[in-house]
Amino acid sequence: MARRSLLAIPIVLPLAFATALAQTVDPGKSLTAPKTDYALTNVRIVTAPGRVIERGTVLTRDGRVAAVGANVTIPAGVVRMDLSGHTVYPGLIDAATSVGLPSPTRALLTEADAPAGGRGGRAGGGGRGAPLGRGGASPAAPVVLPEVDAGAEAVDMFAPTDAQMKAFRSGGVTTVGLVFNGGLFPGRVGAALTGSRDNSDQFALRAAVGQQVAFGRNRDSYPGTLIGALAFVRQAFLDAQYEARVEKAFKAGAPGARPSNNPFHRALMPAAANEMQTWFVASSERELARAAAIAKELGLKSPVFVGSREGWRAIPALKESGATAVVSTNWPAVATVTGRMFTAVGMGLSGTVPDEADSTIAREVRANAGALAKAGVPVAFASYGGNSGTTFRDHIRESISAGMSFDDALRAATVTPAALLGVTAAVGTIEVGKLANFVVVSGNDLFASGNPIKHVFVEGRIY
Amino acid sequence: MRIMTRVVRASAIAAVAGGLMSAPASLPAQDVAIRNATIITIANGDIPNGTIVVRDGKISAVGANVTVPAGVRVIDGTGKFVMPGIIDAHSHGALEGGINEGSESVTPEVQVQVMNDAPMIYRSLAGGVTAAHLMHGSANTIGGQGRVIKMRWGASAEDLLFTGAFRIVKFALGENVTRASSTAPADERRFPMTRMGVDFTVRYWFTKAKEYDQEWAAYRAGMRSNPNAIEPRRDLRLEALSDIMKGDLKVHSHSYRGDEILMLIRVADELGFKVHTFQHVLEGYKVADEMAKHGAMASTFADMWGYKVEAYDAIPYNMALMSQRGVVVSVNSDSDERIRRLYQEAGIGVRYGNMSVNEALKMVTLNPAMQLGVDKMVGTLERGKDGDIAVFSAHPFAAEAMVEYTIVDGKVLFDRSQAATLRKAAEKEGGPGGTR
Repeated sequence: MARRSLLAIPIVLPLAFATALAQTVDPGKSLTAPKTDYALTNVRIVTAPGRVIERGTVLTRDGRVAAVGANVTIPAGVVRMDLSGHTVYPGLIDAATSVGLPSPTRALLTEADAPAGGRGGRAGGGGRGAPLGRGGASPAAPVVLPEVDAGAEAVDMFAPTDAQMKAFRSGGVTTVGLVFNGGLFPGRVGAALTGSRDNSDQFALRAAVGQQVAFGRNRDSYPGTLIGALAFVRQAFLDAQYEARVEKAFKAGAPGARPSNNPFHRALMPAAANEMQTWFVASSERELARAAAIAKELGLKSPVFVGSREGWRAIPALKESGATAVVSTNWPAVATVTGRMFTAVGMGLSGTVPDEADSTIAREVRANAGALAKAGVPVAFASYGGNSGTTFRDHIRESISAGMSFDDALRAATVTPAALLGVTAAVGTIEVGKLANFVVVSGNDLFASGNPIKHVFVEGRIY
Repeated sequence: MRIMTRVVRASAIAAVAGGLMSAPASLPAQDVAIRNATIITIANGDIPNGTIVVRDGKISAVGANVTVPAGVRVIDGTGKFVMPGIIDAHSHGALEGGINEGSESVTPEVQVQVMNDAPMIYRSLAGGVTAAHLMHGSANTIGGQGRVIKMRWGASAEDLLFTGAFRIVKFALGENVTRASSTAPADERRFPMTRMGVDFTVRYWFTKAKEYDQEWAAYRAGMRSNPNAIEPRRDLRLEALSDIMKGDLKVHSHSYRGDEILMLIRVADELGFKVHTFQHVLEGYKVADEMAKHGAMASTFADMWGYKVEAYDAIPYNMALMSQRGVVVSVNSDSDERIRRLYQEAGIGVRYGNMSVNEALKMVTLNPAMQLGVDKMVGTLERGKDGDIAVFSAHPFAAEAMVEYTIVDGKVLFDRSQAATLRKAAEKEGGPGGTR
């Protein structure tokens, strides 16, 4: 519950809150970090993309930014850090990661679900409610969540290891969007921190950020294919919209109106009514076109396309649907990019892909985020599909090398994902009242090659 | 003229390569004429030493005495044969995300997904094919919706779609639906498992669809008197079945045996829908009169005897016999390989059944166009129709005939003189593909 109310915390922390916080700490568990407040002095401050204080001070108090500016009075009892020759940036935000989340197969792989002995494999589909067993000790085929998990909250399941958290921070990532890896309706997107002031594992920042649609399949029942999943997704949203109509009539006392109270449809109602954004997992040219078409058909506004790895090939579809592209920095392998075959097979072509064509594709893949930003599509960087953290900054650097402006890149790793995740009040810029999430590097350039991260602050705690 | 031809070719190549560089787009408009060729119009006989001109993607002139406007690329057709682009009424190539949603036996809400960069598209061009019906598989009694595409190699999946074509849904009968060849125990197999069950499945679901239509009709009728009425639930599956009854969604039914064809005709007549086209329909010759009476067309194989139990009564005279009884017949590929030589398949109708050459050629041009709802746009070489053309080195029924050019919307997308390495690409993929 604490996680959900965090955004409602008043900007100026009253004493009562500090007391309440202390009360929630397990008395048997000692705090591993003192609640230190810091003054980062003589430091170049990039408060937001394009907004720079050349030499100033950032003051933290109780995990939040207490003051920022060229002339800040530093109170007593604060730890001073002279950061001459350094720059402090807002902590980076990885808009979508599955690190720390359970596999979407979770609900189907419990003891209770696997019938003893199992049965032989079967070609084609079975009926609804068929047994799930595939026999003996053979590993289960990749499967997806049952559709009824649409209400599952990623933040409730976020259980990263210390090493995973460290990996995020080592790349300057202080906030993450939590998006399941696979599934059909695997649950809802959340937002979390990659550390916390009291280190009590309360990383969650926001639940119910978005409704994830992943176009997976059910193993032994409908839908068993992508083409089935596409129809299933459309029907599910229509059902949720119908449920909303019935509920409205029910509340108005219309005779005969009775909601089904089907938990799956209820879970989808906010997204179906545009009260929550829908996050479609869509990466390739065709996946993006399909997701855009579904959003249009169902009247889903401002959809989010997680992956968007061939976004530059689908810019008209992205623009028309008003989508935000969550661009995975886990670049697609050149050999998998749509249309590569066009360079090999056709008139005057040799039957093999020329090296120049592959170099062009490799360049386009890295220039993707910049091309989208330039076309006016909101872009948020994410490590989705990759292993997170450590290489996040390196891949953003590659996007900059391929033509993306520094400010666009920084925006795609701070302000845009903060807005997308609905956590702008807490993170994304260095402003009074926001969480003290920073990245400190020597020199000016956060994304410069070989420039190590000096410090990372998450909720005012230094790492 | 020679120099100009080169320039145009070079720009076409650049445009194909350019498909990679930017958002997929159609190739630039290109005017083209073929002169001094034998033009097989299908609609109005053959024109020896004829000329055909395509401007802005449409046929602007075809005849014996046609002047080619300046600035139009000219292909010398001396000794060559020009025919309408070949149309395949039954293919499963260039699809992704599954051919069969086989988890349930009734899935008309499902639609196949076109894969624009499948080399099968270019391979089809090499066989003179300019359009095809990409179908859902035959696992289900009522399968999914297909897509009619043009072979616009280099375009996006959306841009491949043949605008104006019918919406078509796949039905299936017989062994595939009942899983006759399945070795799974009966309790693990899916309903229906018998031909009786197939019959029942069709009746059951159309009965449900009628109730669904009644629910909506009642809602619409009562809207004025009862403003508080709740708009009914939209059911994509029943909506598709309702579209079938309205004629907005055409039924193409996989079939082999005469008895199952009759069964579906009777059930359709009883329930009030049309079977637009029977696919495969190897025993169509036994029930051609009943098919003609129902108004059903037929898309069949030229010669596929005995490859499964259902095909034991298949005969190569099927095409000719059905045609003689007034059924509109096409011959299809059902295969990424056979799609390259559909013109040879059509020729079988001449050898077995004495079809006229023009009637036989209709089976891969006008007739499949009628079955796909695109006969106003393609299928014959007539002024105003789409510039979809195949140019052969000899008459398409001659054993030595090869496709030299394939033109889609006036754009030369296949030119054999520049495609010498097609084979290399095919070998790399591990062969030319098979049947599904």
